[in-house]
Parts: sequence; structure tokens; C-alpha cells
Amino acid sequence: MSAFIFTVVLGIIVLYLGFSKNKSILSPISAGGLVVSLVLSLKDWGHQSKYFHDMILIDNFSIAFNVSMIIITILIFLFALDYYETMENHVAELYALMIFGLTGTFLMTSFSNLIMLFLGIEILSIPLYILAGGKKYSYRSNEASFKYFIMGSFATAIFLFGIALVYGASATFYLPEIKTFIAQFNGHLPPMLLVGLLFIVIGVAFKIAAAPFHFWSPDVYEGAPTLVTAFMATVVKTAGFAAFYRLLGIGLLPLPVQIEKALWVMTFLTLLIGNLGALRQSNFKRLLAYSAIAHSGFLMLAVLSQHESSASVLLYYTFVYSLATIPLFIIFILAKRASDGLEEILIFRGLYKEKSWIAIFAIINLMSLAGIPPTSGFMAKYQVLFLAINKGILLTSIFAIVMAIIGVYYYFFVIREIFTERGQTTTKMEVTKLNAALIIICSIGVLATGIFMWQIPI
Amino acid sequence: MILLILLLIPFISGLAVAFFKGTQAARTFAVASAILNLVITIFVLVNPVSEGYSAEWIGFMNIQFNLATDGISLVMILLTNLLFPFVILAGWGRSQRNVPMLNSLILLTQAALNGVFMAQNAFLFYVFWELALIPVYFILLVWGGDDRKSITLRFFIYTLAGSLFLLFGIIYLYQLTPGSHTTDFSAFNQLQIPEQTQTWLFWILFVAFAIKMPVFPFHTWQPPTYKMASTQGAMILAGVMTKMGIYGALRFLFPIVPLGVQFWQPVVIILGLIGVIYASVIAFKHTNLKTMIAYSSMAHISLMAAAMFVANEYAVKGLLFQVMSHGITIAALFYLACLVKEKTGSTEFHQLGGLKNKAPIFAILFLIAVLGSIALPLTAGFVGEFLMIAGLFQQSFWYALFGGLTMILGAIYMLYAYQRVMLGGQKPVFEKVTDLNRLDYIILIPLLVLIIGLGVFPQPVFDMIKIAGSALTMAH
Repeated sequence: MSAFIFTVVLGIIVLYLGFSKNKSILSPISAGGLVVSLVLSLKDWGHQSKYFHDMILIDNFSIAFNVSMIIITILIFLFALDYYETMENHVAELYALMIFGLTGTFLMTSFSNLIMLFLGIEILSIPLYILAGGKKYSYRSNEASFKYFIMGSFATAIFLFGIALVYGASATFYLPEIKTFIAQFNGHLPPMLLVGLLFIVIGVAFKIAAAPFHFWSPDVYEGAPTLVTAFMATVVKTAGFAAFYRLLGIGLLPLPVQIEKALWVMTFLTLLIGNLGALRQSNFKRLLAYSAIAHSGFLMLAVLSQHESSASVLLYYTFVYSLATIPLFIIFILAKRASDGLEEILIFRGLYKEKSWIAIFAIINLMSLAGIPPTSGFMAKYQVLFLAINKGILLTSIFAIVMAIIGVYYYFFVIREIFTERGQTTTKMEVTKLNAALIIICSIGVLATGIFMWQIPI
Repeated sequence: MILLILLLIPFISGLAVAFFKGTQAARTFAVASAILNLVITIFVLVNPVSEGYSAEWIGFMNIQFNLATDGISLVMILLTNLLFPFVILAGWGRSQRNVPMLNSLILLTQAALNGVFMAQNAFLFYVFWELALIPVYFILLVWGGDDRKSITLRFFIYTLAGSLFLLFGIIYLYQLTPGSHTTDFSAFNQLQIPEQTQTWLFWILFVAFAIKMPVFPFHTWQPPTYKMASTQGAMILAGVMTKMGIYGALRFLFPIVPLGVQFWQPVVIILGLIGVIYASVIAFKHTNLKTMIAYSSMAHISLMAAAMFVANEYAVKGLLFQVMSHGITIAALFYLACLVKEKTGSTEFHQLGGLKNKAPIFAILFLIAVLGSIALPLTAGFVGEFLMIAGLFQQSFWYALFGGLTMILGAIYMLYAYQRVMLGGQKPVFEKVTDLNRLDYIILIPLLVLIIGLGVFPQPVFDMIKIAGSALTMAH
């Protein structure tokens, strides 16, 4: 809990630091503050504690996910130092909003009451709506913000409606009580409860961009400032899946048949649409958006396997996915600057010739996303497939494998561009020391977590 | 421990060579490393090590880093480490881009291949299996010929698709193992899988190997890839990587899904024989030397696939011998084909002809390699193919009949190709063609000596595979 409070205070402090003209102190202070939150979170490891009339339950599950998200946010903040250097004048509120969003994700990992889940999702979403419109003079950014806001509000409304219906049926917001309430029906749920649960699942599915609730994600990813896109692709996705797992794990397992069927259809569609959609993309951010959807499909497979180590696998998968995504966004920004603001995949052309070490790290991360050994992306997919196959889900696993093969195609399309000769000479790519360090640390992390695969039992 | 060294030498020197600045220094270092590895391999052959190397790797999944060898893997390791010095030498004196990186990738491929052939753990096997693919992909992508971008991507996706099904199979087997699961081959071999399961599991496992070999109808990636591959890329692909498929099939299918093998045996043998005839006919009709060699390789490999599934003593001995001789022959052939390309600028038959007049020694060496490939008696090819056909004959007269066509058809298309390249009137554009230089001798003479030497005196290889043969028969 101390980590939670500290992070909120940190957000407020950073907000007021905006009065100082020196914007380069914001990133170190935010990142440093988050290191403190990290330590505070880790101190609670092993103790289960409840707050606010048991509405919040902080256990190893929530701490592990919080730590993972704090680490990723620190990396994003370090990247922000260079990113905002050239872009914005008033950036304190952007840091503050991201920190507030992060506190929302803390709630999403530790709720045991539907109201807290709702609060968490809202605390995360509202800063994101603003952040997505961070580039005030860009049509795309405004569009992204507006679209995200409209769609997000709509999803929130459905989610809230679901909570109301469940409350109407069961007269409680507490997930453990809902669980016992569901259990007494032996699989024949009353329609009101069923519709309520379905709406709740839809609300969460919107956050994790699972098909068919994914339509916002490519546009928003494309339009939002790249740093915010990176934040959405990593931290928000991790939080969404943590919430999803917790919702199912505490509240709904064993899943009611109808809900499970709906979720399987969603998994199937997510894998299909994510991978097929990515095939035709020429914009790199859209490509990563669809790739994020495709990875959501794999993560849903892990959740739906309902294996005892599903949570650990989710943690590993989301962490290594984020670790591989951040350097790609950094490299994307570097390449974008070197090619007059283009966002196409073409901007990677000639990267190997110009900066071969960056190209090699880009390749490592792309291979991790594609799931090729010995990178951690492969180990993550291996674990997910193990969960699914161990639970006898054979055909869907084979379907996921076929989709993974398609995935390899579009990631290697980018690798191909890296090795393609570039026609005309362009501006030289400049890499600051900090960005170089970030790229190297993340890439080595991707390799190391792959070669020495770990699992934290949570 | 010595097995680990065998793995680490190319791996470490491969990483090191990437940081070299000078072209010649990188090449020398790479060759030295490859030769050192060959020496150690021979040392391992002479003093067989009984104990392997084992270390903990991924604790919570109970996956060990296990290396060991048996007769089959020794043949494969010998072939790999024998060919790689020549592969690296094949780059000497040629103008290539970014030589340190190229040699680094070649050495990393060698390390991964050694790993594939020594791994005693299916997970480790899979990791090495994929690791071998990645450097080869980049060798083809950066140093390949025309139209390499789309062809390499197809090659990569194709092989990876097979591999992912293999991964599915490995995980499936892993969760079948009792207790705290394990991916050790020894545990897999003891599984008693119901016949029903084995019949579908067979294809899940086999597809990866069938694509790698390749067996008809999984071959469509191969001819364009071989055609556009650089000399070194083609030597690695055709010489060693095709053998990964054979090795994998021997390692996985026979011990783990024997009933599945029994069930699908006729189908695969017939697919193999279709491949023999199909590839031979296309090789005959083809107008490009490199593609022709690619199809000829496919014809030979198809026969090997058929012989593997007959799986009697003759066939298996012949198969393992042929692994050796085919690897050497095809590497020599691809080197020669690339020499043709270098000297004349083309491998299209209609632009070639009469090279013999300007390069007589080249023509003679080419002829020896061609004869080795068509399995003339006293070449290594004959020993292997003869044994395999004898094995097919034991199973069925018809198998042997169609299998035997590989020798006859092989003679037709290979000699026809030789005639169109080397004989006939000399094309006026070839005025400036020169004969072989010293480096070509260094590469070709040892390979050709091996082709003839093993044909005359094949016993050493048989001694090596004696253990393997008995292991396979035991599996039945």
C-alpha cells in the first residue's frame, strides 16, 4: 500500500515541478521516484494484506505485476528524456498523467471488488485519453484521443452496466462472494447474471484490445505520440491482462460454460485478426498495434488454459513482450527522425548499413516478438503452448501455431527492410548515449530472460 | 566435456570473428577455428567418449543441457565439421561484403549444427534446430544472388512452419512424460503412446523433417533457394542442413512413435519414390545448372527418405553412409557450379558450352564429382545407394525397381548437364575463361579424394555407424 500512496504523491510532486523551467529534471525525478515505489512494492512481497473493507487485496500476484509495470515505466521515462527534448514545452503534466495512470494499473492488479476494478480502469483510462492527444497540433493525435475517448467511454458504460446487472442478481460487488453465488447454480446461471458477467468481460476485453473489441487500437496507436503508444502497448496491456486474470481467477473460475465459449471465440478472432491484419500494414506503429492484438490472443490462450501456473506465464509473457517492444519504439523514433518524420516500415531501409549494431538489436527484438529461440519471446510462447497442450486444448494450439507462422512473416518483413539498400542518402541517425544504453539493456534483457527462463510462482 | 568444447569453439570464435576488422584476418581465424574443430572431431572418433556433458538449464521446467553422441550423431558431426573448413575456404580470394560478419554467421551455423547433432534433450534440440536456421537465413539474405529477398523469406517461413509443428509435438510429448515432466530423449523413448495418437503425432513431428530434407511434396522452397544461394550458403544448405532432417527423423520418429512409423511407412516410402522420379525428370528438363543440382540432390534425398522408412539393416547402413557421401559430393558439386557461374557469369545451360577447351582440369574434376553423384562404382555414392536399394529390395521388388531409377535417371541428367556445360563448341564469350587456381585445388582435391577414397574403402564409416545400426534395430 505504501508503494501505491507514494506513487500518487510522486505524481502530484511531478505535476508541480512543471513550474520549474528546467524540464530535464522531470525524467530523472519521475524515474527515481518510481525506483522508490519499486523498492516499497518489493518490501510487501510475501505478505498478503487487505485494505478498504477488503476491497483491495495486495498479494504476490499484484506485487509481481506492479513491479513488472514499474520497471517498464521507468524504461519509458528514461526514453522520454530524449523524446520530449525536441517535442514539447510543457511536459510535467505528461509525466504526471503517466504516473497517475500507473496508479490506476496498481488498482487493476489488486482489486477484489468490482468497484475497485472499475476505478482502476478509469484512473488508467482518463490519463490515457489526454495523453493520446498529446500532440495538440496533429490531426491524427486529436483523432486518436477523441476516438479512444468515445470508444473507451462506451466500453466503460457497458462494463458498468455489467457490474450493475451482476449486483442486481447477486447483491454484492465482492468477487469471492460472486464466486460462491455463481457456484450455487451448478452451471445454469440466471440470464441477468450471465449478461452481467458477459458485459464485464467485454469491458475488460476492450482494454486489452481483444477482437472483436480491437477497432480502436490501430488508429489510437498510430495517432498517439510514440511514447504514449509505447506506454499503451506495454504497461496498459500488462495491466489489462492482470485484471483479466484476476477477474477470472478470483471471481469466475471455473468459468461458466457460456462465458468460456464467448472467450474462446474471442481468442480465436483475436489471433486471426491480429495476425492477418498485421500482414497488410505499411505503417510501423499500426504493425505493432496489430502485433499487440496478436499477442493478446496468445495471452488469452494462457488465461483460458486455467492452468495453475497461468499467472506466472502471463507475468513472464507480458514482461518480455514489453521488454522487446520498448527498444523497437526507440529505434522507430530514431529512424523516424532520420527520415523526416515518416512512419512507414520503409524508414528501416538501410539500417544495417548505417548503424549495424542498432540493426542487430532491432533484429533480436523482432525475433523475440516473432518467437524465435533463444529469445524470450520463444520461451514465452513455449510456456503458453505448454499450458494449453497440457490442458488438452490441441486444435486451438495448432491454430495458434499457424497464426504464429503468419506472425513470423510480418516481423521478418521488417528485418528484410533493414537489410535492403537505401536509394538516396538521408540525414544521419543520431543516437544519444541514454537511448543506446536503453536499447542495449532491453535487448540483452530479452536474450537473458530467454536463455535463463524463470518462473515466479504467484 | 570434449563435446562441449566441440560446441563452444565455433560458437566463441564465431562471436569473436564478428569484431575483426581485416578481411583476411577474419578468414584465417575462421578457417583455423574450423580446422581445430575438425581435429577435435577426429580425436573424438578415435577415442570415443562414453560420457556426455550435462548441466542444469531451466530448473522449473526440468530441462537439462545434455550433450552426448552415438553412432548416428557421430556421422553427422563428422560430416559437419569436415565440410565447414571447406565452406569457409570457399570464400577466400573472392570479393565479399562484410567478411567478418559472414564468417561469424558461418561459424555460428556450425556451432548450432553441432548442437543439433549432440543434444540429448528435445527442447535443447529444438533450440539448436532453430538457431541453425537463423544465421543461414542471414547468409542467404545478405550474400545471396538475385531475387533473394522474397526467396529467403519463403525459405524461412517454410522451414519455421515445420519447426513449429515439431515444437507442438515436443510439448505434447513433454506433458505425457510421467512425474515432473522432462524433455529428455531417453524419457520420450520410454513413452507408451496409444496407436491412435501415434498416427497423427507422426505427421506433426515428421513435417518439420520432411520440409528440411525435403521430401515430396514439401520441397517447393528448395530449388529457388539453392539457385540464388551464394557458394557457401548452398554448400551449407545442401551439404549439412538437409541431413538435419534425416537426423531428426531418426532421432524422433523411430524410437518415439514406432507404431506411427509402421502405419505410415508405405505412404512415406511411396512419397520418397515419387520424389525420386519427379525430381529426376525435372532435373533432366531443367535449363539451369544450379537448379538442376538442387533437383538432383532432392532425388538422392528422396531415396534416402524411402530407405530410412524401410529401416532394415542394409537400408540404414546405406542411409548413414550416403549421408556422408552425399554431403561431400553435393558440396563439391555446388562449389563447381559456383565456379562455373564465376567464370562465365551464368549457370543457364543455353549460355554455356565448351568450357573444357579453356579449362581442361576444371572439366576433369567436374566429371569426377558428377560421377560421384550418379553413383558410379568405386565412388562413395555407389556404396550408399547400392546398400539402400538392396534394403528396398528386401522390402519389395517394386520399391527397389523405382528406387533403382535414381541411378539410371541420375546418370542421364547429370551426364547431359555435363555435356551441355563442358563439351561442345566453345562459346566465343568464354575467351577469357581461365582454369582452376590454387585455392580451388585446395578445396576440390580433398573432397574428390574423399569421394573416391570412401568408394574404394568404405569400412571406416561402417565401423563408425556399427553402434547406430544396432541402436536402430533395437528400436524395432
